[in-house]
Amino acid sequence: MFPDPTEINDGDAADKEDPAESRLSDVAAQEQSLDAEPLSDQEKEQETEETENTERQNNDSTETADGGTEDAAVDHDQSDSGEFVVTVLAKAKLEEQGIGVKGRSSPLLEAGTQECPAFISHRDEDVTGDSWRQHRKHVFVLSEAGKPIYSRYGSEEALSSTMGVMMALVSFVQSGDNIIRSVYSEQHIVVFLQKGPLVLVCVSSSRQSEEQLRGELLYVYYQIISMLTQASISRIFEHKKNYDLRRLLAGSEKILDGLLNLVDSDPSFLLAAIHCLPLASSLRDSLSHILQKAITPNLVFSILVAKNQLLTIVQEKTVIEDTRLEPTDVHLLLNLIGASSAFQAGEIWTPICLPLFNPDCYFYAYISYLDPPECTVCLLLLSTDKEAFYAVAECKRKIEEAMVAQNSLSLIAKAQSYSVSQVGVSDLRHFMYKPFDVPDTYRQLTQFTSPEMEAPYSSEEEKMRLLDLYRFMHSRIHSTSRPLKLIYHVAERETLLAWVTSKFELYTCFSPLVTKACAITAITKLLRWIKKEEDRLFIRYPPKYSTTPNPSKSSRGGKSDQQDSTDNGFLSLL
Amino acid sequence: MPEASKMKKPDVKVVLLGDMNVGKTSLLHRYTERRFKDTISTVGGAFFLKQWGPYNISIWDTAGREQFHGLGSMYCRGASAVILTYDVTNWQSLAELEERFLSLTDTAHHGCIYAVVGNKADLTDSKAQLSQDSDGVSEDQIQEEMTKPQVLSACPTPPASPASLSGMSLNKQVTREDAMAFYGRILRYKGLEEKGSLPAEKMCFETSAKTGYNVDTLFETLFDLVLPSILRNRNENLQSPTVDLEECRGAGSKRARSTCC
Repeated sequence: MFPDPTEINDGDAADKEDPAESRLSDVAAQEQSLDAEPLSDQEKEQETEETENTERQNNDSTETADGGTEDAAVDHDQSDSGEFVVTVLAKAKLEEQGIGVKGRSSPLLEAGTQECPAFISHRDEDVTGDSWRQHRKHVFVLSEAGKPIYSRYGSEEALSSTMGVMMALVSFVQSGDNIIRSVYSEQHIVVFLQKGPLVLVCVSSSRQSEEQLRGELLYVYYQIISMLTQASISRIFEHKKNYDLRRLLAGSEKILDGLLNLVDSDPSFLLAAIHCLPLASSLRDSLSHILQKAITPNLVFSILVAKNQLLTIVQEKTVIEDTRLEPTDVHLLLNLIGASSAFQAGEIWTPICLPLFNPDCYFYAYISYLDPPECTVCLLLLSTDKEAFYAVAECKRKIEEAMVAQNSLSLIAKAQSYSVSQVGVSDLRHFMYKPFDVPDTYRQLTQFTSPEMEAPYSSEEEKMRLLDLYRFMHSRIHSTSRPLKLIYHVAERETLLAWVTSKFELYTCFSPLVTKACAITAITKLLRWIKKEEDRLFIRYPPKYSTTPNPSKSSRGGKSDQQDSTDNGFLSLL
Repeated sequence: MPEASKMKKPDVKVVLLGDMNVGKTSLLHRYTERRFKDTISTVGGAFFLKQWGPYNISIWDTAGREQFHGLGSMYCRGASAVILTYDVTNWQSLAELEERFLSLTDTAHHGCIYAVVGNKADLTDSKAQLSQDSDGVSEDQIQEEMTKPQVLSACPTPPASPASLSGMSLNKQVTREDAMAFYGRILRYKGLEEKGSLPAEKMCFETSAKTGYNVDTLFETLFDLVLPSILRNRNENLQSPTVDLEECRGAGSKRARSTCC
C-alpha cells in the first residue's frame, strides 16, 4: 500500500538482533535468513520476489526510483509479494509476543484467547490484514538507529522491518546531503519529519496536504516531548544510539493514540487555536475570579475545562510577560486530561513538559475532576514545584468551596456549544472563525469558535467529510507555493467559502444551492453576529495572578502566611 | 467523592508501587469502588483519601512506567506503608520490584511497613476466582485449574477442566515462597531484624483485583498495622505510650526512632 519494502535488505540491518528470528516458522525462517544474508544464492526464489516487490513499489512512488535495482524478474509463486513480506513480519510478531514478558505468555497465545474481540486493540492488530492497510492515516515514530518507538496501528515489533526500511530511506537521502520530505503515490502520501534523534513518518490516504500532515507529526513529536522533555531524549540517544525508547514510553501509547484521534476529529489542531466553551461572560469572569483567588507559591497556570473545552485559564503574571501560552501546549494538556480520566475520583500529580513553552523542563500538573462521578468539569493546576502537591491540592479545595458557594457547577452543566441556527442565516450550515483582531486576546491565547456540527453532518462519516473539506480549503489558503485569500468552492453536496484577512480567518459551509451573492451577504451577517456574541464565544481578557515566591509583604503577604500555616499539616507528612 | 472534597488532614500515607500492568490501580479501584474495570496506564501518581474509622489514610497510586521513575521517591516520602505489587504470572514484575522500586522506599518513614502483593491470582488459583474476599490466607493455592487469561469482564470465568494442568504451571511464574523470600530481602535491605519485624507470612498477599479475592484483607490488614503509626504521629509531642504494642509486635524498630519532619 505504501512503498515500504523498497530497500528491504538495508532495512533489516537495523533489526538483526530480532529475538524472534530463531523461532520463526518455515517460510519465515527462509525469508529471515535471506534478509540476514541478502547475497546467499540458495534463496533465489525469494530474492526474485523481493526485486519484484521493489519494482512494484517504485511504480507507486515518485521519489524512490533510486531505491532499487530494476531487474524485471516477474515470476513468483507467492500470490502477492507485497503481502508476503508483511506476512513474514506478522509471524515474527506472534513469536515475539510468545516470548515477551509483557502480560501474556505463550500458552495463552496458543489458546487463541488474544483473538477475543472484546479487548483487541489497535496494538494487537494483524499487520498482514487488509484492514491494517486500509487505515486512513498511519503514523510511525522511530529512532535514528531505526528502532521502532510507536506505531498507530499494529505492534511496533511486527513493524520493525518496515520501520527499518523507512530509516533506510531517510539515511539514503541523507547520505546525499539531502533531506527526504515526502513520497507521493497515487493513493498515499508518505511524509517524513526528523526532529533530533527521532524520525516521524506519516502514511496517509486522506486528502490532506503535506504541510498539514507534517504539522500533525509535529504534534506527535511534541506530545512525546511533553512526556519526556527534549533534553532527556537527546541525552538518552547521545549516550546510547540504539536505546529502545519504548521503555520510557510504555503505557503512553494511549496518549499518542488519543492525540491522533483528536487531530483527525477536532479542527483545533488544524487551526492551531483553542476552542472554548461558550459561556456568559459574567459566569466566565466569576470562574476566573475563583481561580485567581486560589493560589500558592509557584503556581503558574490554572485551567478549568468542561467537556474537553476550555472554560477559563488564569496565568501567572510574570509568565505571560515572558512568553504566551501556545495553543499547541494547551492542546497537549487537554489531550493528557482526556487520556488520564480513567480513575476519576483521585487527584493526579504528574510531571508534564509544555514543549513550546520550554521543551527541556517539566511543570507539575495537578489534575482533578470537580464533579465526580460525572467527571465533566476538570481542574488543572500547573506548578513549577515538584513538591507542591499538597499546597496545590489545597488550592483545589478552595476552588471547590467557592464553586459550591456560587453554584458554579450547575451553571457550567447548562453551558453548551451553540447551534448554527442561532446565527439566523438560512443557508449557512457550519463555520469556523478564528479572529486576529483582538490584540490582547490574540497575543495571549489564539482561539476560534465554531457551532455544533448538525445535520447533515451528524454522523461520524459526514463529520469527517466536512472536516476533510475544511482541510482542503485550509491547504489551499495556506499553500506555500500559491497562497490564497479567498476561495469559493462548489463541492458536490455543499458550497464552501474560505476567507482570510488581517483580522480573521473564516471557513464557512453553505447548502449547495447558495449563490455567491447570497454567501457574501451571509458572511456579513455572520461576522456581525460573532461581533455581538464575542464576549460569550471567546475568553476576552485572560486573567492573571502573581505567585512569585517572595511577594511584597504589603499586598499579598498576609495571604501567603495564612496559606503556609494551613499547609503545615500536610508538609509534616512529606 | 465526599471524603476527598472535604478538607482533611491525612494521618498516614500508604503507597502502591510496582511495575506497569501489575494492577495497582485495579487493586485500589476494587477496594474503593468495589468493582473491577478496565483501567488505562496511570500518569504520574494519583492521590486518594480513605476514611478508616476516625482516621484519614492517604493512598498514592503510582505509575509503574519507567517514565515516571524519578517521581517515585517523592511519592514515597514519609510513607508509613508501602505495597510492593507484582503480577503472579510474570516473574519479571517481581524482579523489577527489587531492581527498580525497592530503592525508592529509602525516603519512606523509618518505621514503614512493607507488604508484598501478588496480583492477578485469579489466573492461577481457583480459590481466587470465586470469592469477593474469602478470609483464608492463601496457603496452598496451587490448585490444578486455570482460568482463561486476561478476559477483562466483570464476571469470573469458569475454571477450565483439570486437563489443562500443564498450562497452569507455566502460567504461575511467582510462587508465594518467592515473594516471602523477597520480603526477607527487603528486611535485610532495610537493615531490619527478621525477628523484630512483621513476619513474611503476614505481609505477603496474593490477590485478585478482578474477583476481589484478598483485596479487602490486604488493605484492612495494612490499615490496622499502620494505626500505631498514626497514633504515634499524633502523640509524638506528648511522648505518651499509646502505641498498642500487642497489635504491632514487630514494631520494635519503629519505636526506636521518633518521627521527624
